[in-house]
Amino acid sequence: MSTETIPVEKTKRNYNVLFGLTLLALLVLLWIVLSFATPSFASANNIANLLRQGSMIAILAVGQTFVIITGGIDLSVGAVVGFCTVIPAMLINAGWPVWIAVVATLLCGVAIGLFHGFGIVKMGLPPFIITLATLTSLRGIGLLMTNGNSISINNDAFQAFSRNSFLGVPNLFWMVILVGIPAYIFLHHSRWGRYLFSVGSNAEASRLSGVNIERTIYMAYTLSGLCAAFVGVLLASRIGIGNPTQAEGWELQAIASSVIGGTSLFGAVGSVHGPLLGAFILATINNGANLLNVNSFWQRIITGVLIIVIVYFDGLRRRGK
Amino acid sequence: MTSPAEELHPAPVLEPGKTILELRGLEKRYPGTHALKPIDLAFRAGEIHAIVGENGAGKSTLIKLLTGVMPRTSGEVFWEGAPVALATPHEAMALGINAVHQEVVLCRHLSVAANMFLGEEEVRYGILQQRAMVRDAQKIIDDLGFNLPANVTLGDLTIGQQQLIAAARATTRGTKFLIFDEPTAYLTRKEADQLFALIRRLKSEGVTIIYISHRMEEVFELADRVSVLRDGTYVGTRNIEETDDAELVRMMINRSIEQVYHKESFDFGPVILEARDLSGRGFEDVSMSVRAGEIVGLYGLIGAGRSEFVTTLYGRHPKSAGAIYWGGKEVSIRSEHDAMRLGMALAPESRRDQGLCLNLPVGLNLNLPIYKRISKHMLISGSQEKSHADQQIAGLRIKTPTRHALASSLSGGNQQKIVIGKWLNHGAKLFIFDEPTVGVDVGTKAEIYRLFSTLLAKGAGIILISSYLPEVYELADTLHVFRRGRLVASHGYREADHEKVLTQAIGVS
Repeated sequence: MSTETIPVEKTKRNYNVLFGLTLLALLVLLWIVLSFATPSFASANNIANLLRQGSMIAILAVGQTFVIITGGIDLSVGAVVGFCTVIPAMLINAGWPVWIAVVATLLCGVAIGLFHGFGIVKMGLPPFIITLATLTSLRGIGLLMTNGNSISINNDAFQAFSRNSFLGVPNLFWMVILVGIPAYIFLHHSRWGRYLFSVGSNAEASRLSGVNIERTIYMAYTLSGLCAAFVGVLLASRIGIGNPTQAEGWELQAIASSVIGGTSLFGAVGSVHGPLLGAFILATINNGANLLNVNSFWQRIITGVLIIVIVYFDGLRRRGK
Repeated sequence: MTSPAEELHPAPVLEPGKTILELRGLEKRYPGTHALKPIDLAFRAGEIHAIVGENGAGKSTLIKLLTGVMPRTSGEVFWEGAPVALATPHEAMALGINAVHQEVVLCRHLSVAANMFLGEEEVRYGILQQRAMVRDAQKIIDDLGFNLPANVTLGDLTIGQQQLIAAARATTRGTKFLIFDEPTAYLTRKEADQLFALIRRLKSEGVTIIYISHRMEEVFELADRVSVLRDGTYVGTRNIEETDDAELVRMMINRSIEQVYHKESFDFGPVILEARDLSGRGFEDVSMSVRAGEIVGLYGLIGAGRSEFVTTLYGRHPKSAGAIYWGGKEVSIRSEHDAMRLGMALAPESRRDQGLCLNLPVGLNLNLPIYKRISKHMLISGSQEKSHADQQIAGLRIKTPTRHALASSLSGGNQQKIVIGKWLNHGAKLFIFDEPTVGVDVGTKAEIYRLFSTLLAKGAGIILISSYLPEVYELADTLHVFRRGRLVASHGYREADHEKVLTQAIGVS
């Protein structure tokens, strides 16, 4: 009996690798098609632009994935990004050193994540509700702080960061690598990452095994908040203003990237490379559609169809084993 | 981190034969039920102690108390001579008390190795030592003689294989006292043999084993001593050499309390439903029929195939062979909807999950299947809604202030009546009751039994599934016994005695 299961298992694991490769292949295919279809796609300028566009959603999607693996959801990340453009703008304009402004913003993201953990663990609120509440109220707080105005950042070095490249690769994309590698090690090679999966798979079994479920949940939302705050800093640098209404709907793009990258909304299934690929697939579609002069309304429809198709086939694969 | 080889040998335990765990007056009450009456029992270090009893005898309650899953109502527990609270699972585990549950409590998305080390991972510089853990887990598994890979996802193994992993895992955690709750329910014979080898080995290493099972042959194969529970009461303990299965069966079924069975006999009408040589997932070649005014009882142990049989009748699972006749005509039942349209009603075992919308009003629940009939042009007729609900509330004597009360506010017995009432509203002719009295108190039981008579008087037929022998024995006009997916015996009303029926269900010679 057991000897029979082993080959079956091997096929399945190969299939998992295949799914990752399929995403990569899809991305490469899109690039190849677009290079032939439009003269400007393959230009260094456009590629750099594409990498910049995809980077911020990619980082958000990684944090989001941690939360989804535990069986939760973080709807607040878009609002956190918007709010976290305001903080560095105000602090830098007030004359604070950039690094302090950045650290303060990141701490802000941590605090928001801890608050989500508190609401879920201590107050017993569903993740959907507590993060939805933050989504709306954070935008309100940001608007109160700015009186509804955009704050222009008076610091050229801060703004230059997001425009510059290092070794020919845009700095923003380096930030994806900066986040992605530790995130990969954390998720797949540390016991904390392991506990994210175990809590999402069977919280009771984890509890009976001595896993601290509350701490695991705090950790997931804190990391998601931290990623979102970091993206807020990057966005502030890229657009040069602090404005709490920025990043509208980014939470949905982050969730979509994560899901396209193979994360299961039922929890316990996900990776770091999947959401990264997902984010750049979405960015490529948007970029390509712009270059092909496709009505931008279509981009939204294409994204929706893509989510359905990819998740449907992924579900077939899981059930079909 | 200790090496797996060391982990396999738990900390030195008491010398064999000394009392390791003693219960004095241990007792558990739930609101409305006395699940475990005061019990005095001492377990000896290094013994395999079997606990037998019918469903509802109090075995699961006892395990939950010993593993700290729920607190006791009163009584004392002594571990190695010292009193212990056993208030949390952690406390029990810290003492060395562990359990392998009938249903696997592991993370099916994680690998076998990750599950074996869950909560106790091997880590170096903050990095999981995954290869080392797979290697060590494999060593433990190989050492136990289980031919299973450690690096696969747990959910890809069969339930039986997962059960073996759960057992292997329990041995790695300094366990001194290990409870197996019906561990072989889902195992093949070969897997069961592997498990028994593991259990004997643990015993040789001084671990105390509690072995809970329905299967007499396993008890006699493994145990040193056996204790019997019945209706939440401790009956007695025997050395295995000094007893036989006839005595144990007698101890399990000999009832002290006067029962509450209400039985009226009706003249049987025409055959409502007949199954001929029906096979499907979990059962084979079952033939039986139900007449108007008849209660057909299906008895068997959990996993014997009764529930699978009726859910196939009800269209939830496809049949693989055979035929179903309804009112003498062959019918094809492809979905639950087909079954309902014919006039079948299933009162499922977990009525809370499957039978009722608990947070909706009683009246809405009663009318749920008939809204199509009492609506005109998409609009619900308020007067019909009221009259149909009130008719069932009065007819079945559902104790509720009004039809607007939430179903969740009613007692278990009255909730059961709502399930029945909604199908009466629908005009069902055949009622299938799957364990209708699980978790209800004696008074409610009596009420439910009286309800059966009401249904029979209206010309309905009843299929009654129960794992509680006296219930089917006292109520069924025809009693079919299931064992391992087959209908092995049939009896008329009170035709065979308890012992014979139980023996047929368990399968002892």
